[in-house]
Amino acid sequence: MLAAPRPPRRAVLPVVDVASGHHAPNTGPVDHAAAAARFTADEARTDWHDGALWFVREKRDRQAAALPEWELLRELASQIKEHTLSHLDEYLEQFEACATANGIRVHWARDAEEHNRIVHGILVAAGSRRLVKSKSMLTEECRLNPYLQERDIAVVDSDLGERIVQLRGEAPSHIVLPAIHLKKEEVGETFHTHLGTEAGLADPTALTAAARAHLREHFLAADAALTGVNFAVAETGGFVVCTNEGNADLAAALAPVHIASMGIEKLIPRAEDLGVFTRLLTRSATGQPVTVYTSHFHGPRRAQEMHLVLVDNGRSEQLGREGFWRSLKCIRCAACINTCPVYRRSGGHSYGSTIPGPIGSVLTPGMDLERYGALPFASTLCGSCAAVCPVKIDLDAQLYRWRQLVADAGHAGVAKAAAMKGAGWLLARPRLFRAAGALGRLALRALPPRARRLAAGPWGRARDLPPAPDQSFHAWYRQNRGGAGEERG
Amino acid sequence: MSDDARAAILRAVRAARPAPVARPDVRAAVQGFAGDACETPDDRALSARFAEAARAGGSVVVEGRRGDLPTLVAAAVPGARRVVSQVDGIVGAVPMPDTPHGLADADLFVCEAVLGVAENGAVWLPLSRLGERAAPFIAAHVAVVLDRTAIVADMHAAYARLDVAAERFGVFVAGPSKTADIEQSLVVGAHGPKEFTVVLIEIAPAP
Repeated sequence: MLAAPRPPRRAVLPVVDVASGHHAPNTGPVDHAAAAARFTADEARTDWHDGALWFVREKRDRQAAALPEWELLRELASQIKEHTLSHLDEYLEQFEACATANGIRVHWARDAEEHNRIVHGILVAAGSRRLVKSKSMLTEECRLNPYLQERDIAVVDSDLGERIVQLRGEAPSHIVLPAIHLKKEEVGETFHTHLGTEAGLADPTALTAAARAHLREHFLAADAALTGVNFAVAETGGFVVCTNEGNADLAAALAPVHIASMGIEKLIPRAEDLGVFTRLLTRSATGQPVTVYTSHFHGPRRAQEMHLVLVDNGRSEQLGREGFWRSLKCIRCAACINTCPVYRRSGGHSYGSTIPGPIGSVLTPGMDLERYGALPFASTLCGSCAAVCPVKIDLDAQLYRWRQLVADAGHAGVAKAAAMKGAGWLLARPRLFRAAGALGRLALRALPPRARRLAAGPWGRARDLPPAPDQSFHAWYRQNRGGAGEERG
Repeated sequence: MSDDARAAILRAVRAARPAPVARPDVRAAVQGFAGDACETPDDRALSARFAEAARAGGSVVVEGRRGDLPTLVAAAVPGARRVVSQVDGIVGAVPMPDTPHGLADADLFVCEAVLGVAENGAVWLPLSRLGERAAPFIAAHVAVVLDRTAIVADMHAAYARLDVAAERFGVFVAGPSKTADIEQSLVVGAHGPKEFTVVLIEIAPAP
C-alpha cells in the first residue's frame, strides 16, 4: 500500500561548502580565492590533482587530432544546438507529443522544488521506497537526494565515483569524474567504514570489486531507477543515456519504475544529430571514441512505467540573456573543466556550485549573482576552455561579460572596486601615471623583496616581481621611434 | 498542476527565444567524413578497423564461420555454467528467464548484433536481439555475433542505416563495463560484464 507522505520539513536547499566539499547550508557568497588557497596549501596534492586532470585533457587531444573532421563536427554541433535553442518551445512540444505516444509520461518542472515534488510524487504513487540513481548533475542541482531522504526514500547513487562521494557526505567535485579529488587511500578508508572492506585496502581493482558487490544488491532490490539524460530527440520522442559502467542502464532495466530527469536544453531535433554528438561527447570527456554503453530509450519495458521530467530551473531565463544563452549548448563533457588551469589547481569544491570550472562559472551566476559573483573571476581568461569546447561555447567571453555585471551590481568586493576606480582615475591622467611609473620602478629597485611582494598585493603572494626596467615604455618609444608618440596633456 | 508548469515554461521559453538560427544540413555535411579515412570502404578494410577499435576498447575479437559458432563461443568463454542465448545452437543455453532479475547469475549472454561501427568498435543491440533490456548489462560475460558485412564506417553511417526509434530500447555497446573513478585507474567489470567478446563472422568463400 501507499505510504502517506510525511509533511515536508522546512525547505532548506543545501549547497556545497567550499571548505570541506560537504553539503552545507547556504552560508553567503562563495569565496573561491579563499577556498582555492586552502586547496593549494597542500602543494603535493595540488600537483597530483593538476596532473590527473591534464592526463584526461591529453587523452582528449589525441582523440580530437585523430579525426580530420573534428573542427567540422564542432561547428555542426554548435549549429544544431543554436538552431534547437532558437526554436526550443517548438521542439519541446514535438518531443512531448512523440514521447507521450511512445508511452513515456512527460512532466514539467519550473524549478528544483517542483522537480523534487514530481519525482517524490511518482515514487509515492508507485509505492517505491528504494531508488537507485545514475549520474545526473540536474538532480545534484535540484538537491533531490536530501529532499527524498527527508521523506523516507532510500537513495543510492550507483555511479562508482558518485557512490564514493555519497558515502562520504560530499558533493561531486567534477561532473564526469565525481571523485577526482580523492586518493585511493581515502576511498579505501571510506569503503572500510561503510562497506566493511579490509583496513588499508587501497587497490582500485579490489575497491571496485567491493563496490560492485555492494551495488549489485541495490540494483536488484531497487523499486525505482532515476537516470539523467544526455540527449533527447524531438522527432522520435526518445532519450539517450551514456555511461561506461552500465549502471544507468542496469538500474533502468531492472526497476519497475524508470524516471529520467533532464534540463530543457538537452533536446536535439533528429536522430541523425546523434551521430554528431556521440562522436564528440566521449572524445571530449574522457578521450575514448565512445562510451561503453549508449542506451536509447523509446518507451518503458513491459510491466514498467517510464517518466520523464523536463526541468527549467533558470534555463529559460538564461536563454533570454543575450551574451549568455549560448552556454545552454553545453553537453556536460567537462573538457573545459579538465583544461582549466584554475580548476586543476583549485579543485571542484572551491567553486561551491554543482557545476564547477568555466562552464559552471557562466551558468551559475545567473542563478544567484550575489552568491556566485566570485566565480567569473576564477579564471585567467586564457581561453583554453573555449578552444576545447565541442559545441564552441564562447566561455572566456562569457566569463568576461559576467565580470562586468558582477562589478555593476556591486558584488566585486570593496578592495577590487576601489583598486579599479583608482586605476581608472590614474590612467586618465598621463602625467601623473608617468610619475607613478617612475616611482614604481624606483621602488622595485630600492625595496627589499619581501616588501616588494607585499606591495603587489595578492598577486605577489606566490610570485617574485620582475626586475624593474631602466625606462618606461613611453620613454623607450620616444627615444627609439621618435616623434610618433607626441606627448599630450 | 503540471499543465500550469508546462504553459509557464513554454511561455518563458517563447519569450526568451534568441533570433532564429538555421538548421545545418547534417546529412550533407557528414558525407565524406569516413571516406577521408578509408578510400575503399569494402567490408574487409572496415572489419579490420572495427576489430582494432573494439580491441582498443577492451573487447575480445575472434573470427570464424557461422557454422562454427558454438565452438567459437565455447572456446571464447570456457567454463560458463549458466548460459542465456538469443542465438541458436549455443551448447547448454537456457531460455530467457521471465524476469530481468532472473539474469543476475548468468555467466554468459549471447546475442547477435544488427551492425558494428568501425570507428569505435561499438555494436548495435536492439531489444529484439536482446530479448531483455537487462541482459547485456548484468551477465558476467557477453558474447555478440557480428556479420562482417554489417559493419559501417562511423556513427553517422550507423544512424543513417538504423531506425533507433523502431524499438523501445536499443544500445550501442563498445566493450566490457568499466570505470576509472578511483584515481583514474582503469578497472574492467564495474557492474556487469567483465568480458565482452565479439565473434566476427567470416564471409563464406565464393564457390
